[in-house]
Amino acid sequence: MEGKSQQKEKITAIVLCGFSLFYFFSCWHLKLGTIKYPGPGFIPVVIGSLLLLCTTFYLMRVFGTKFSGRKTGDIAAEEGKNYQGIYGILACTTAYPFILEMLKFLLSTLMVAFFMLVLLKPQRPVFSFFLALGMAVASFLIFSRLLGVALPSGFLEELLFRIGR
Amino acid sequence: MAEIGQSLLSGFASALKPIYLYYALLGTILGTITGVLPGLGPLGAMAILLSFTLTMDATGAMILFAGIYYGAMYGGSTTSILLNIPGEAASVVTCIDGYKMAQKGRAGAALTVSAVGSFIAGTISILGLTVVALFLADIALRFGPPEFLAIGVCGLILLVRLTGGSILQAFIMIFLGMALATVGVDFLTGIERFTYGVRELGQGIDFLPVAMGIFGIAEVLTTVEQKEFLQRVQKVKLSELLPTRREWKRSFPPMFRGSFLGFLIGLVPGPSPVIATFASYISEKRLSKNPEEFGQGAIEGVAGPEAANNAAVGGAYVPLFALGIPFTPAMAVVLGALMLHGLTPGPNLIKMKPDLFWAVIASMYIGNFMLVILNLPLVNVFVSILKVPKNILLPVIVLICLIGVYSVNASLLDLLVLAVFGFIGYALRGVGFHPAPLILAMVIGPMLETSLRQSLNIAGGNLGGVIFRPICLTLYIIASLTFVIPTVLKFIRKSHHSKHPKLNERTTDV
Repeated sequence: MEGKSQQKEKITAIVLCGFSLFYFFSCWHLKLGTIKYPGPGFIPVVIGSLLLLCTTFYLMRVFGTKFSGRKTGDIAAEEGKNYQGIYGILACTTAYPFILEMLKFLLSTLMVAFFMLVLLKPQRPVFSFFLALGMAVASFLIFSRLLGVALPSGFLEELLFRIGR
Repeated sequence: MAEIGQSLLSGFASALKPIYLYYALLGTILGTITGVLPGLGPLGAMAILLSFTLTMDATGAMILFAGIYYGAMYGGSTTSILLNIPGEAASVVTCIDGYKMAQKGRAGAALTVSAVGSFIAGTISILGLTVVALFLADIALRFGPPEFLAIGVCGLILLVRLTGGSILQAFIMIFLGMALATVGVDFLTGIERFTYGVRELGQGIDFLPVAMGIFGIAEVLTTVEQKEFLQRVQKVKLSELLPTRREWKRSFPPMFRGSFLGFLIGLVPGPSPVIATFASYISEKRLSKNPEEFGQGAIEGVAGPEAANNAAVGGAYVPLFALGIPFTPAMAVVLGALMLHGLTPGPNLIKMKPDLFWAVIASMYIGNFMLVILNLPLVNVFVSILKVPKNILLPVIVLICLIGVYSVNASLLDLLVLAVFGFIGYALRGVGFHPAPLILAMVIGPMLETSLRQSLNIAGGNLGGVIFRPICLTLYIIASLTFVIPTVLKFIRKSHHSKHPKLNERTTDV
């Protein structure tokens, strides 16, 4: 049976090879120029070719390796991983840009912080909520008031800005 | 020499301004904290704080970053000695003998030797940085595009050799980084490349969200992997901090050797502080009259490597200040900070902005002094930071990354890039890819492209005219040798072993 790490390596090799193919073929739409006057596509073609070459070798190496079966240590390491936390944090980071404009800074930061805290320690949701609220308010005051960063603001932010003044 | 002394004095006059002292103090404290916390290294901290430097002037930003870099090296050793947990990669070696010393009740002595060694190394490397950077910058003023191309190529090739792990993987990361650097408007023709109609991509993919994603978010995700959260903390009494006379006597020679070795290794591309510690440990073991003590709590095994990793920091600044080329990922972040302030590092920077250069140098001395003063009495305070549960610390780091990236350009695309590269960084680490070459290639990429296109233009399309110039050829030969020599040595060793299998068995036994 194939180990999870080998599966991961195969997927990575395929994705990398796919990306290099995409990049390599995209380069040809750009003007190459001449060797004396290289155009905007000259360097990308060189990089694309080398990247494609390397990723193809990598793909061949990964698929050419014989698997020695799944070790117990490998299984234990995989089972010990906190995948819920990893995917949750990734989801929060990806969602943040989408909700930031819509919900404005305080609410979106509160939501993201709360989800992350609950994901990492699900036992104490009320404590997590107040901690997340503290994080959102503190980060708003630090970035907006102290550092003068223009953050997406609505009614709540205006109110907090006035109180903090 | 008198000119250097005078410039350094003016640097001190500037660095001793209250605001710069505050930045130096802030940097050293933040650096020590990041060094203490396993997972968050100096690079992650610098990437996260990059956006904060927008509110400072360039000198302030450089002082803050220098403090973080040095502080992280100090902080990393504290957890290595007390808890057998290397706060960052360059402190792994310190665990070997430092922790053994702690188990024997000599933790205080190990911490003091490590701090004093770091201070001596820091001072020596700053002296080296001053002299070598000025000398190199003077030479570099005569360099043309072909020379800069050769330095860039040579740097990347050496990086591949020294990063460790698979060479093929390192090359893939370099070409990926260079490919990312080609996104955006071509600087010579104004033609858009790989933007696919996304207006914001016209300016290219910003270095900051990529670095923060790959080092900040990916680091958080890697830390989340492990479920156990709380750390037991060992206390050190102030009265236990003083080493014995014998321990001092044994420590000073390794400190000086480590300092010189570390500085020299710092000049080379790659994770220089890490390599420097290993090189110093091996050389100390070979030079020692009692090599059997190594691994059992030999103080030389702490003094040498700790001096070496701090000295490597000073060395790493040389190529950045003198040539404008970062040879380590942390230096790439420093370069990013300079560029955010509209400054282009390189030989002209020292000439055009001597106040900045000398203030940074002076602040390094001050920062090193602050670290010794702060770290020893406050060792228990810094170590107790490990008591902060990760389930609170990690969301805070993610929020700082998110808001930090947004605050630079107020761009939602940058936030998406951060998330995407956080995932990419995490996934690639999982299969053994080192992210450092990608970041360096992304930073050096545009310079390489400009140099190559200008060189070809100057040489009239003659590739020989680009390669066969004295400095260029020397650099290309050095780069080639780094690949040829290890392969030849490997081949010789293999054939020797196949001819003498019995000898091979005996050496393995030893």
